[in-house]
Amino acid sequence: MARTAQQKQGWIGWLFFSDLWAGLRLTLGYMFSRTITHKYPDHEKWLPYNRHRGHHFIKTNDQGEVNCVGCELCAKICPCDCIIVIPYEDEKGQRRPKVFDIDLSRCLFCGLCEDACPADAIKLGQEYEIASTNTAALVVHLEDLIAAPRKADKQAGTVIQASLDKDGSAKTIPKADAKGYDWWQLLRRDK
Amino acid sequence: MEYLYAILPMLVKIAVIVVVLLLLPLPLTWLERKIAGHIQQRPGPMRVGWHGLLQPIADGIKLLTKEDHIPTEADRWLFKIAPVVALVPPFVVFVAIPLGEPIEVFGTVVTLSLSNMNVGLLFILAISGIGIFGIILAGWASNSKYAVLGSLRAIAQMISYEIPMGFSVIGVVMLANSMNMMEIVSAQKELWNVVYQPIGFFVFFVAGLAEAQRIPFDLPEAEGDLGAGYHTEYSGIRFSLFMLSEYIVVVIMAFLNVLLFFGGWHGAPPLVPEIVWLLLKVGFFIWVFMWFRFTFPRYRFDQLMAIGWKVLLPLAIINILVSGLFML
Repeated sequence: MARTAQQKQGWIGWLFFSDLWAGLRLTLGYMFSRTITHKYPDHEKWLPYNRHRGHHFIKTNDQGEVNCVGCELCAKICPCDCIIVIPYEDEKGQRRPKVFDIDLSRCLFCGLCEDACPADAIKLGQEYEIASTNTAALVVHLEDLIAAPRKADKQAGTVIQASLDKDGSAKTIPKADAKGYDWWQLLRRDK
Repeated sequence: MEYLYAILPMLVKIAVIVVVLLLLPLPLTWLERKIAGHIQQRPGPMRVGWHGLLQPIADGIKLLTKEDHIPTEADRWLFKIAPVVALVPPFVVFVAIPLGEPIEVFGTVVTLSLSNMNVGLLFILAISGIGIFGIILAGWASNSKYAVLGSLRAIAQMISYEIPMGFSVIGVVMLANSMNMMEIVSAQKELWNVVYQPIGFFVFFVAGLAEAQRIPFDLPEAEGDLGAGYHTEYSGIRFSLFMLSEYIVVVIMAFLNVLLFFGGWHGAPPLVPEIVWLLLKVGFFIWVFMWFRFTFPRYRFDQLMAIGWKVLLPLAIINILVSGLFML
């Protein structure tokens, strides 16, 4: 009540239901305004912002080696204990992870591993279509993490044209050269 | 053989009306969901068929294949018969609703109504009053407190809106000097009744919303406070019979609004056939009912009674008095 601007309608307005007409006018306006539903998953896809915390990925350096130094800080800080890191010493004498497993079915995507990482290795990316009917398939390994999609690009935060992957992977593939639009601009805001 | 020729048009008309009325709820549910969606900036059903046009058929298949459940403690016989009792009156009302002037087909004159009775309007009001029986029986036979509450509300609602409704059409009957629907329509050839009877139209429209149990007067089946009201315990095909009767009542109220106050098939623009013009007007009223549904909240129970008795009834009586004074 406090935030809505109460308009004086007077007795003539009361007699001719000015408040009901105002409501009807509003819904009529909405009836012929543009719909804002994402046509997900078969025509459009929402690309998350860069701050979005989705599927993890591990960065590699210029020589193609993983950045990870196997310090296990991410495994230690993980509140749900879903990261397993087993380090080893490679032929150059560097400490690298032999095993780097993340159990996505237990991960809560808090991003603490990203914060703890001293080597700028583990990051949380934009991928969110990781649902599966098999919990074993949700344990991702080092090579999966290296291959996982990186942070969202310039189109971050837009809705982009896409099509459903026909191979049964339940993923929506964005069109290569499609330009995203800002979904929030479509929202109709009445004073 | 001659006897058959005499009743053949009647049989054809009955078949057409029954089939159309049975199929009409399919496009209406689609339309209602589309309007609901667009008012809320959603597209509504989009997946089944072009823009979801086949969605009602999918819904129908789903309803028909659902388990037909009868509660253990229910009065089985009444429980089974209640949906049919609710469905019959809306169909019977269409006996008296005319769709246009008599037309000539293959040399025989065919009237566009099943029966052109002299007390058509009284017949319509009386039969649509009977429609409440199905709701009462359904609520009582379910042996569920929400269902009984729903039918109790339906009874109280009927008492408070049927009387103003009956009074509001008296002005129309006075103008036409007849209760015959054809004559009521032809009395509006020059000017629609809504111009002479704005108050009568208002009372009839509001009472019609209550009769069709549409928001803002859908108290007998208030989803929020009663589960689903009188058809809480119904499932499958019996539930769909209730939905069917509700949608047909909506169509009837739209027809009555057009025939009594908006000139029926008169006043068609050139090149538009009269029956198309009539159906356009009816469609407009159906759309208005749906538009109202997704705009207004539900009235409280005592507010509904107060509107019926303290506002609509005095307004209807004033309307009769004023139109009587003008006609003197």
